Amino acid sequence: MLFRQVVFYALLVGVLSGLALTVVQSFQVVPIILAAEEFEGAVVEAEATVIPALQSAGHHAATEEEVWAPANGWERTAFTMLSNSLTAMAFALILMAAMLASFSLKAGEKSLKAWWYGLAWGVAGYVAFWLAPAIGLPPEIPLQATAPLEHRQLWWVFAVICTVGGLAGLAFGQTPWRWIYPVFLIVPHLVGAPHPEGLMFPDQVPVVAAELEKLAQQFIGATAIANGILWLVIGVTAAWSVKRIVVALKAESSPGTGMEVPSV
Amino acid sequence: MQHQLTDTKAHRRSLSASISKPLQLVGAVLLGTIILYGAGFVNTAAVHNAAHDTRHSQGFPCH
Repeated sequence: MLFRQVVFYALLVGVLSGLALTVVQSFQVVPIILAAEEFEGAVVEAEATVIPALQSAGHHAATEEEVWAPANGWERTAFTMLSNSLTAMAFALILMAAMLASFSLKAGEKSLKAWWYGLAWGVAGYVAFWLAPAIGLPPEIPLQATAPLEHRQLWWVFAVICTVGGLAGLAFGQTPWRWIYPVFLIVPHLVGAPHPEGLMFPDQVPVVAAELEKLAQQFIGATAIANGILWLVIGVTAAWSVKRIVVALKAESSPGTGMEVPSV
Repeated sequence: MQHQLTDTKAHRRSLSASISKPLQLVGAVLLGTIILYGAGFVNTAAVHNAAHDTRHSQGFPCH
């Protein structure tokens, strides 16, 4: 069954690329988050000393007890690896479904044998799920001032859907209306991502804020590289998976000639 | 006649395959979307904390 095959291979792709991402991140992305969190701890301590009357001891203990978080070290890394693999699996499910769906189009089936097939789909995924949302909402470090979460999530979804539509149209669209597809790519950025007014790090003294702004800049570069590698691995391994699925489907639909399936 | 019968059978089979395939692919996209929602968007504190570094580095809106 096609669905089962896609889920099985997506799990494989997810674990593999999630692992690759976790390794890359632990060298350049996570250190920046941890560095920013050190300032976070400093803020909490400062607040506690300045306004002790506002934070009754009981209230403080209760909130700390309620909110679970993985302990720093291997536990936190393990949960990051798990969620990295889950998002990678989700991306693989969507990407492989799109690859398989494109076989009903001439251009989709023709390009399966090309050496750049996996790369092209990987780049498309990178642009749609990372680059386009990141242009409006660059990846943030902790402590950064942001617009309300729901507004940003809504814009993220809007940017991804528009970019997927635009890219799909550019690659496979055949109508005389093709000029409309680049418009899809631009629309989310014309609408504009939600941003807060004022300073990037409003709660910090200028020296710390300057330090954090430097970290925020580095963070964008680090995530650009880490996600590029993630999508490269997803694209290549998803293409390999889809080729295996196509071979299996051909064998299924023609049981007599199952042994002599052309290598895709 | 016999030939025609097998023809329609094969035709029906390929027809049902071409209908069920899009559905299965839509199912795969839905499953992917649900997982993405869980890992990247759910705002419960524990889920947020577990997936914190993934959300920050993959550019999901966070906090």
